[in-house]
Amino acid sequence: MSEAENLKWRKLDNSAKIFPLSAGRKYSTVFRISAVMKEEVSPVILEKAVNIALEKYSSFKVKMKYGFFWYYLEENNKKPIIEEEKDYPCKYIDPSKNNDYLFKITYFEKKINIDIFHVLTDGGSGVVFFREIIYTYLELLHPTVFSANERLTRKIDYNTEDSYLKNYSKKLKGNASSKKAYELKGKKIKLGAISAIHLIINMEKLKEECDKYNATVTQYLTAVLIYSIYKANYIKSNSKKPIKVCIPVNLKKYFPSKTMSNFFSYITLEANMNKLNSSSENEDKLFDNIIEFVKNDFKSKLTEEEIAKTMSANVKLGTNFFIKAIPLELKKIIVRLSYLEIRKYTTITFSNIGRIGIIGKYKEYIDEFLMLIAPEPVEKIKCSGCTYENKMSFTFTSILNDNNIEKTFYHFLINKGINVKIESNGVLDDISKKD
Amino acid sequence: MIYPKKISANNGEIIIKIFLSVSIAIAIILTIINKLTTPNVPWAALANSGIIYIWIVVIYSIHRNVNIAGHVLLQTIAISLLTVYIDYRLGFHGWSLSLSIPIILIVANLTMLILTIVSYKKYLRYAIYQLFILLFSILPAILIGEKIVTDPIMGIIASGVSLLNLIITIILSAKDLKEAIKRKFHL
Repeated sequence: MSEAENLKWRKLDNSAKIFPLSAGRKYSTVFRISAVMKEEVSPVILEKAVNIALEKYSSFKVKMKYGFFWYYLEENNKKPIIEEEKDYPCKYIDPSKNNDYLFKITYFEKKINIDIFHVLTDGGSGVVFFREIIYTYLELLHPTVFSANERLTRKIDYNTEDSYLKNYSKKLKGNASSKKAYELKGKKIKLGAISAIHLIINMEKLKEECDKYNATVTQYLTAVLIYSIYKANYIKSNSKKPIKVCIPVNLKKYFPSKTMSNFFSYITLEANMNKLNSSSENEDKLFDNIIEFVKNDFKSKLTEEEIAKTMSANVKLGTNFFIKAIPLELKKIIVRLSYLEIRKYTTITFSNIGRIGIIGKYKEYIDEFLMLIAPEPVEKIKCSGCTYENKMSFTFTSILNDNNIEKTFYHFLINKGINVKIESNGVLDDISKKD
Repeated sequence: MIYPKKISANNGEIIIKIFLSVSIAIAIILTIINKLTTPNVPWAALANSGIIYIWIVVIYSIHRNVNIAGHVLLQTIAISLLTVYIDYRLGFHGWSLSLSIPIILIVANLTMLILTIVSYKKYLRYAIYQLFILLFSILPAILIGEKIVTDPIMGIIASGVSLLNLIITIILSAKDLKEAIKRKFHL
């Protein structure tokens, strides 16, 4: 091959294969991580930092290309575009307007954002790359403070293998539910706007409350979410369908992997509200029922065996020869048509990427981290969370033209004595001014 | 505040929608005038095919990365279809098959040949388009073989040029061509 243009390429991982087939302006499959800094962002320094970080994490320095059967990723020699935030979060990333990159870096006053098309990676690895940008940015911005460079000893050790293929089992069979999920009712926000409401929650108080129920933070917040959906949306509909909450799971906790590609699966909780509400005499009892159900469902579904079953079922689909041999354009049509049906099996997604660890002095320059995922026409609200220091940010991204679920969620936490601060992008500017 | 108050509208898309609406309106008006004035001469259909051709090129240029070889392939197919359509609407005398398409293919092959020689270091990004142009270049030979074309001279020249293109490409960039096929057709 010619020496000058020996552009590296790689196949998409098993999860990533599906994203470009179904993605578009309505289904962007983009997630965002933001860091709110303590100082105004310097765009010039940020651009330098991104370029340096990209050299270290070259798995992000790619563009997506058409193949006859699948898309693939190829090395991108262009410079990434860094610009001021001027659009709604998690919007579709049009590579032709982004120097072919599949992630987008924007800034606004003290905030730095990275929007990532899921084809590149998942939330966990997205955080790793974003953290590298933030570290490098701070080192360039304050060279005297970080002259010793605390991170020099930290070795960057990763690969881009398809860990799904390495860890799945041909023998395991998935056990997907056949019941369709309750779909959130209500008018959509017009003109493609996306509402983002962040609840910045005090971790100490939240943990105290979780301990009362012997639940984890994710379990507790999932229960509050189901309760809020029930009270603010479900109850008006007379629906008998279950509220189904999709919880993405980081597979690196279950299988050994150093990949920077996608490596996640999910569990789906199926809350039968008619059953959970029938035995409850009061509001507190209803919540008690919900949280007991959530804990039990987590216990039964969040096991290595169950997770391996779901993962293996999905991998088998992607490795099936007959599916592989369908031309890409035909695959797109089939996937888009089948997704019209598949999407009806989830009410809402709640992705908690957990603690974002920042080392040493770097913490002094960062106020908070935010995580956002793109809502869709069927899953009109998506929830996400991350924790930094003693604050957890719980985010609602929504295309639903009312914020009753968000309000109910907020008031529930406040009534439990948990301190919550609200930030929002003002699209549904109602509860966002409360503190 | 951690978000901007004003979200800027995507003006580019609005402009495209306005121009598209204007084009559709023009096409409808032309068709009506044609039907009312000279229904025996299909000039509106020819004009409208030109409008469609322009839009194919504009949309491709906007949504795809700028790749000269991709444009050459698109123009080759689009102009070929356009000339066949014009020929058909004017009574199908066969000039599109015996003259236009071979000339278009000669130009396309020569363009790709020049691209290959001048910028062979970037050849990998052109390879797959060249492959499709070479495949499309088989068309004149098929038309001659099936005796659909009565005047085969330009077709023979086109086939010769494409064969020459293929040979030079293989000599210069066989490895790249193989690599491009491996990438584009991986399962």
